[in-house]
Amino acid sequence: MAAFTLRGRGVIPGIVEGEALVCPKSITGWGGIDPQTGIIKQYDNVNLGKSIMGKILVMPGSKGSNGWSCYFGAARVTGAAPMGWIFTRIDSSAGVATTVLQIPTVVDFPEDQDPCRLISSGDRVRLNGRTGEVEIFKSGGVGYESG
Amino acid sequence: MVRLDSYEKRLLAGKEGRLKQVCLENILRYAEVLGAEELCEVTKATVFCGAHNYLNVETSDSPDAVFSRMNLAVDEIIAFDRTYQNCTIQSCVSPCDQYEHEPFNQSGDFFSKNSEFLEQARRAGVTITGTCAPYLTGWLPIRGEHFVTTESGVTVMGNSIWGAMGNSDGIEAAFWSAICGRTPRWGNHVEENRGATHVVEVKAPVNSLLEWDLLGRAIGDPLATRAVPVISGEFQRVTFQKLRQLCTTLAISSNCEICHLAGYTPEARNVEDALRGGKPAGTLVIDEPALQQAYEAVCDPGGGEIDFVSLGCPHYDIDQIKRVCDYLKGKRISPNVHFMLWTVYPLKAMADENGYTRIIEEAGGHIYTSSCPGTMGKVFLGNYNGLVFDSLKQAGSVKSDMSKPVYFGDVFSCIDAAVAGRWEEKHRWPRSR
Repeated sequence: MAAFTLRGRGVIPGIVEGEALVCPKSITGWGGIDPQTGIIKQYDNVNLGKSIMGKILVMPGSKGSNGWSCYFGAARVTGAAPMGWIFTRIDSSAGVATTVLQIPTVVDFPEDQDPCRLISSGDRVRLNGRTGEVEIFKSGGVGYESG
Repeated sequence: MVRLDSYEKRLLAGKEGRLKQVCLENILRYAEVLGAEELCEVTKATVFCGAHNYLNVETSDSPDAVFSRMNLAVDEIIAFDRTYQNCTIQSCVSPCDQYEHEPFNQSGDFFSKNSEFLEQARRAGVTITGTCAPYLTGWLPIRGEHFVTTESGVTVMGNSIWGAMGNSDGIEAAFWSAICGRTPRWGNHVEENRGATHVVEVKAPVNSLLEWDLLGRAIGDPLATRAVPVISGEFQRVTFQKLRQLCTTLAISSNCEICHLAGYTPEARNVEDALRGGKPAGTLVIDEPALQQAYEAVCDPGGGEIDFVSLGCPHYDIDQIKRVCDYLKGKRISPNVHFMLWTVYPLKAMADENGYTRIIEEAGGHIYTSSCPGTMGKVFLGNYNGLVFDSLKQAGSVKSDMSKPVYFGDVFSCIDAAVAGRWEEKHRWPRSR
C-alpha cells in the first residue's frame, strides 16, 4: 500500500522500485563519491560512508564542482550508479548527470511537495520516470493511500 | 521539443561528422531534461583534458575510447579530432604538472599518458593552458556572451563579475558544447532568470582573502537550489582577487551559478537593481559566528607537525606570487615541509623573469603549474601526514580523501607554519597580528 504519492516532471522514462537514500544537502561534486563503489566520501555529508549503488537517490539538486556529473558518469561505467533519482528542482549539473546516466528520473516538484523533506532514507520508493509519479512506502509504518 | 536552426539540423543529420552529431544529440537530450526549447551559440569554453583519476574506471589505453565512453557516454569509438571553429577553447587543470612528475610521486608512464590525452585535445583545437583560472590567459567572456566552463568558480565569476552567460553544466557537456558550439538556452543563458532571489546582509567584517572564502561558504551552505543571492555589506577595498575567492567557494558550497554584489557587479548597482522589481524569497544574515562556523567546518582542530603546505587555489596571479616572495624573503622553509605555489605555466615564466621563482626556491619552496593537489589526488597527497592550504576549496576537497589532519589559514599563517614545520593554535583564523 502506497503511503503517499508525489508528482513531479518525469524526464527519463522507466519504472524502478528500491530503497531511498536522501541527501538533503546533495552530494558535493569532484570526489563526493567513490565511483568504484558508489560510497559517499564527502567529509561533511550526512550520509558519509553509505553507498548510492542501486538506490533511489533523492537530492534537492546538485552541489559544488562542475565535476559533478562525471563522478556519477564514472559510477555508471562501474555499475555503482543509483537505479533512479529524484531532484527537487533540476539544475544544469543534475541535468547533465541525468543525460549521461539515462536512469529513470523525476524532477521539479511543487513547492509543498519537497521530496527531500517527505521521503526518508530507507523508505521504499517506486518511481515512474514517464509520468513523474513517485510512490513512497514509509519504512516501519502502516501506510495510507492518498493522491 | 527543441527548435533547431539550419546549422543544428545539418549537424544532427551527420553532415559534419559523427563526433559533432553525437555531441548535438547529447545537447538535445540535455535540453529536454532541463525543459529548454532552443539552443544558443557558445563562443568561450574551457574543457577538462588529461588522464584524470575518475577516468580510471575505463580500462582502455586509447584516448579516443576513453573520450567516447566517458565524455560522449557512447560505446562506439569516435575520434575526438575537432571542435567548434567559432569557440575559444582552453584546457582546465590536468592531473599533472606541466613539466614534472617526480615531485608528485607520479610515474613517467602516467605523465606520458596524460601528455597523450592533452595532445589529443590540442589536435582537436583546444589550447592547452592547464588552469582553473582561464582569465589569467585571456579567456574572458564579455557581457551577454554564452560560455561553458569546467571550473565551477569560473561559472559564478563569468555570470556575476563579467555579466557573461553560463551554467555549471558538467565536464561532459562542456566538451559537447565546445565541439558542436551549442548549449541549451536555459538558466543563466536567459536574461529573465538572472535576477536575485535572495538577499544576503553581511554584518561581519570581511577583508582578507580568507574571509571572502569563508563568506562564500557561509552563504552557499544554506542556499536553496538555483537561488540567486544579492550580497550587501560595508566592504572595504573590494578587489578581483577577493571576488574570485568568494565565487570559488560559493560555487563549491552550493549549486549557485550567479551572485550579485551590490555596488560592485554589473547587474547590481544596488540590491533593488539586482532584484529587478521582484520580492526576495528569503533573507540571510551573515554575522561573525557564521564565518567562524564556516571556518571550523573545514580547519581541523588542534595542531601538530606538518609536512605539506600548498598555496594557490584558484591558481595564483603574478601579484599573489610577488606578495608571497615579499613575505618569504629571508625566511627558510622547514626541511620537512613540501612548500608549493600553484599557478599557470606562462605566469611561472613571468615569475622566473622577475626573480620570484629564485626567492621561493632559495627559501626551500617550489612553483608548480597546470594542476593542484586535489586534482592529483592520493598518489601525491598520500605521502603526507599534516597538510595546510590557503584555500577553503582545496582544504575541503582534500579532507574528503584524507584521514590526516588538514588545516586552513591565510597565506601568512601558511608560510609561518611552513617555516616552523608545525601548525599551531596561533595560525588559526581569526589571527591577531
